[in-house]
Amino acid sequence: MRLNPLTVRKLRRFREIRRGYYSFIILVVLLAISAVSELIINDRALAVRYQGEWSFPTYGPVELGSVYGLEGSAGRTPVDYRELQAHFEAQGGDDRVIMPLIPWGPYYNDAIGGILRAEPPDFQRGHYLGTDTTGRDILARLVYGFRTAMLFALAFTALTYLIGVAIGCAMGYFGGLFDLLFQRIIEIWSNVPFLYMVIIIFSVIPATFSVGARVTILLLIMVLFSWTGLTYYMRTATYKEKARDYAAAAQVLGASTPRIIFRHILPNTVATMVTFVPFTVVGAITAITALDFLGFGLPPPTPSIGEMLKQGTANLTTAPWIVSSAFAALVIILLLVTFIGEAVREAFDPRQFTLYK
Amino acid sequence: MTVPLLELRDLATHFPVRGGVLLRARGTNRAVDGVSLTLDRGKTLGLVGESGCGKSTLGKTVVRLLAPTSGQILFEGQDISKLSRRRLKPLRRELQMVFQDPAESLNSRHTVGNLIEEPLIIHRVGTAAERLARVHELLELVGLPASAAERFPFEFSGGQRQRISIARAIALGPRLLVCDEPVSALDVSIQSQILNLLLHLQQELGLGYLFIAHDLAVVRHVSDTIAVMYLGRIMEYADADGLLARPRHPYTRALISAIPSPDPNRRSRRTVLEGDVPSPIDPPSGCPFHTRCPHAEARCRSERPALRQVARDGATDHLVACHFDL
Repeated sequence: MRLNPLTVRKLRRFREIRRGYYSFIILVVLLAISAVSELIINDRALAVRYQGEWSFPTYGPVELGSVYGLEGSAGRTPVDYRELQAHFEAQGGDDRVIMPLIPWGPYYNDAIGGILRAEPPDFQRGHYLGTDTTGRDILARLVYGFRTAMLFALAFTALTYLIGVAIGCAMGYFGGLFDLLFQRIIEIWSNVPFLYMVIIIFSVIPATFSVGARVTILLLIMVLFSWTGLTYYMRTATYKEKARDYAAAAQVLGASTPRIIFRHILPNTVATMVTFVPFTVVGAITAITALDFLGFGLPPPTPSIGEMLKQGTANLTTAPWIVSSAFAALVIILLLVTFIGEAVREAFDPRQFTLYK
Repeated sequence: MTVPLLELRDLATHFPVRGGVLLRARGTNRAVDGVSLTLDRGKTLGLVGESGCGKSTLGKTVVRLLAPTSGQILFEGQDISKLSRRRLKPLRRELQMVFQDPAESLNSRHTVGNLIEEPLIIHRVGTAAERLARVHELLELVGLPASAAERFPFEFSGGQRQRISIARAIALGPRLLVCDEPVSALDVSIQSQILNLLLHLQQELGLGYLFIAHDLAVVRHVSDTIAVMYLGRIMEYADADGLLARPRHPYTRALISAIPSPDPNRRSRRTVLEGDVPSPIDPPSGCPFHTRCPHAEARCRSERPALRQVARDGATDHLVACHFDL
């Protein structure tokens, strides 16, 4: 299998555009870190040695305190590994707890002195960016929020492309009445106000729905209102490619319609479609952040940048570290993806030289 | 009397001209309008005419890229003009096409090997190993090294690319090849190489060609018989030598006078046609050529001349669509 030299050239050009290439590497590293963030930022221990036996509770089921010989109320509730660590150290035996680098989870309310409130950055305690208004570690919430947002954005992009490319391609390939009909449907559909639909739908779905179900519904609503934009590009690209002689040649050879579409036309439209991917991701991150900010996005207590921005702006004078961290994180993510998008677009540009740089 | 390889009977391909909000048909483009032609096995029928005379449309109709409006396409005696796509598929093995521009007709996403193998895959010929061997055999047949299979079409020159597209067209062992201006996109120096390749393949494989070109000099080189087309109709049909030696139709004469002569001493009397080809949407009444014909008379404007036999050159009738014996 030999890579198409045209593809190789595009990849090389992408690598040559430093800003985009390094952004891509940084983003991939961030994604890799966030994929295993349970091992780095977590309130559950990496490893516990109790009575000579090692256990690794990171990904396992919730453990009760009694497992490690805690008594009283601490034995009947899920283990607080930091307290367990302190407990083992006080005992001074062979038992020990190894905590992750940042020993705070995104849902853990750290009530310093028994009060839940926003604490400024505290390196001693391990709250490197401080806590939010309910005492949750901001860094932990940012990292988990980034993971959720990226997963959401990538799933959104994949689904949007699936629908947009399929319908756009069908419109361009079959043309005629089908095309005419779908164009009108798309024109009507894209005029339905998306935000109102989200508000209306979320006001009627029962509160008993799980977080996962709510996120899925939100994802589907967003996809349902976003695929239309892609069909325009896909439709024209297909129209253009279909009229070329290689499509006619395939037809003369006796190729079936699916074969012509999937083996001949779609591969030739990839270049057009790929350039939009990073910008679709940016759009999705912005949209989910905006919805979270308005309170119609991911249901609480899911960590999210939008929700943090909302808290931060409400406590701008009393806890400025909330909004500044969230804002910085959002800007960095959007910049990285935009730089990648810029580089992809330039790498796929058929022109040899551009004034774009 | 044997059945001819290809016989067209009063073939017409019209396109509706649509306009307005509801895309109603407002007129008809008579791209091909009543063409009857015959091509025997292993022979070459040259089809010449200016741009827009409908010769490419005719070629595309013969391979059923376009559906004919009326008339019949008899391929080895079987009418294929109304066959469905599924019924046509087995006939695709027999009936192939070479396009004008190989840069367009070869998909640059696939390797040359994949492109030539594609017809074999579509028609489920052989195993993967057998197909690969066939690809190499075909590449050598058209004068390319077997190693070309791993490369991509844009890594080749125009002439080599046309060889690739010919290799793909003959992969299934067809009996009729429609060549739609196969050398027009190539350098003059390459043209003769491709023409010789086509002639060589014809001898080797017994192919019949429907050879479409706008250049009489090219057509003369490869054809047994020549049909001259103008505004969707056949103006003159004859044996290749007979047509060039004794053209009967004023349009044919104009085309022949446009062939450049290598003899600097020959005093050419060029008949330069005035004006453009009239629109096939609203063709002239009577003889379609009367608007540009130097011999046109009142009769030509009202009465359309039928294609009639004026002579016989060997085994071929010499047919002309003109009222006069010029």
